[in-house]
Amino acid sequence: MSADAEPLAEVRSGKTAIIPENGVSGASLALVIGVLAFLAGIALTGFFAVDAAVSNWSGELTGSVTVQVRGMTAEEIASGADDAEAILLDTEGLSEIRRVPRSEAEELLEPWIGEGNLPQDLPLPVLITADVSPELRADLSGLRTALSDKVEGASLNDHSAWTDQLIASARRIRALTFFAFVLVVLAASSVIVFAARAGLAAHRNIVEVLHLVGATDGFIARQIGNRYLTLGLVGGAGGALVAWLSTKSLAMVTRDAGGFLPAFSIDAKTALWLVVIPLLLGGLSTISARIAVLRALRGKDAYVA
Amino acid sequence: MVNDPTSQAIVTFDDVHLTYDGAREVLRGCDFTLRHGDFRFLTGPSGAGKTSLLKLIYAAHRQSSGRVEVFGHDLAEMPTADMPKLRRRIGVVFQEFRLLDHLTAFENVALPMRVLGISPNSYRDDVVELLSWVGLAHRIDAPPTVLSGGEKQRVALARALVSKPDLILADEPTGNVDPVMGEKIMRLLLELNRLGTAVIVATHDLGLVRGLKQPILRLKDGKTNLHAPIPDEAAKEPAE
Ligand SMILES: Nc1ncnc2c1ncn2[C@@H]1O[C@H](COP(=O)(O)OP(=O)(O)OP(=O)(O)O)[C@@H](O)[C@H]1O
Ligand SMILES: [Mg+2]
Repeated sequence: MSADAEPLAEVRSGKTAIIPENGVSGASLALVIGVLAFLAGIALTGFFAVDAAVSNWSGELTGSVTVQVRGMTAEEIASGADDAEAILLDTEGLSEIRRVPRSEAEELLEPWIGEGNLPQDLPLPVLITADVSPELRADLSGLRTALSDKVEGASLNDHSAWTDQLIASARRIRALTFFAFVLVVLAASSVIVFAARAGLAAHRNIVEVLHLVGATDGFIARQIGNRYLTLGLVGGAGGALVAWLSTKSLAMVTRDAGGFLPAFSIDAKTALWLVVIPLLLGGLSTISARIAVLRALRGKDAYVA
Repeated sequence: MVNDPTSQAIVTFDDVHLTYDGAREVLRGCDFTLRHGDFRFLTGPSGAGKTSLLKLIYAAHRQSSGRVEVFGHDLAEMPTADMPKLRRRIGVVFQEFRLLDHLTAFENVALPMRVLGISPNSYRDDVVELLSWVGLAHRIDAPPTVLSGGEKQRVALARALVSKPDLILADEPTGNVDPVMGEKIMRLLLELNRLGTAVIVATHDLGLVRGLKQPILRLKDGKTNLHAPIPDEAAKEPAE
């Protein structure tokens, strides 16, 4: 081969993708992945927002108890309240024990019976509030029996029926948002599988030549799969970013509304979890595409033409 | 025979038949052996089945019956996963070139090396040298779509040779080039054969066959017959 010894020509080409881009792996697919990443981001934000709310409620609402003392006469109520207060003061794990004054109790009733309509001699039940330590909160049965045994008309309300229900339904919502997240990610993976199959079909002749020059199915699957890594990363990052921005602006709106609505927002540290989306979609896209190609090629290699 | 590498069978056909779906029988009992260092012209009229026979060797098609052995492996029993390894030992110049239009001449020739996962630095010079040798130094970055038939054929030849295969199957490798280039290509194939590569050249160009003094595998009526080289002075095909 030394016959025509001339200086070697310069090469400019050499890096073209062995399997070319085609319609189904271009901008439109990136957009679909972006939209799915956005939905995944919303679902994930919802998950973390509800999660944060659950732990907030568990902490706040269950941190106090109320003892209510009822009776037929004001004297009966007053002595019962004194007994109850004494028991509370004796109980380890309680603090900030406070008898709600009659004026406050009246205020509480105003919305129902109107201002000044309450006869001054009407015996109102007495409310005593106290903060509970977590240890005591775990088992209030001792305090409950002590009160009902020793003080007539006293009852302990730990708000647990209400908070338990609230927390249970919040947990259900949390599970639902996570399920939605998983579904969206699976949808993204199926879209990639479709695209990879379509790409393979569109490039049958190339795949044939590759087989004929000794390419393995794995090599071909890598050529196709690697393209979807970038696509999943870029589409995923774009969608997650838009999701983050929109939940952030939503959080601003809810804050302006005076904190009445529960904030659908997550803090900056939790927002880092959104980085999972592009990584997950990038990796999953690559793997789904590779598996799709490998499955489509399986058994077809031996006799290509 | 087993211990002498020079007599090892590279391709063995044993009563090979081939019928395409619903069509007439193309190969009707082919028997031949190609040994290490052999060179064969595969001749026969158009439609005789030359391309079909080569396809059976590089496992692009399966025979209907009979036995095809390549490098000692019965292809019918070879697991799919082993096919790439087999094909990497065979350099094929396809009759219809089968170049990839989205790649340049350089990239087409480099394809078998990329498939092997070899780094570009290790094959770049070889590829450029091969392309220069077939007279395409100035077309290195051109895609096949802008190349002439003869230029494409030379790219296809370079691709078949780049990985230094143990067996070269050239299907009409000079069909589209001028006689001078045709002669040059045949000399190269003979040289590679002299260095130990087994070669089958399918052609119906008897002008080419003549004078190169290589045995002829003639395909007629679906059967192969081995003939002695045509002497220079002979003007006709070998008698049947
Ligand atoms: N994939 C196929 N399906 C059906 N019939 C085919 C197929 N390929 C080839 N044939 C038929 O088989 C016969 C042999 O074809 P083949 O291409 O092997 O001939 P050839 O000797 O290479 O001819 P040529 O010299 O023109 O290249 C022809 O009649 C052809 O029509
Ligand atoms: Mg042919």
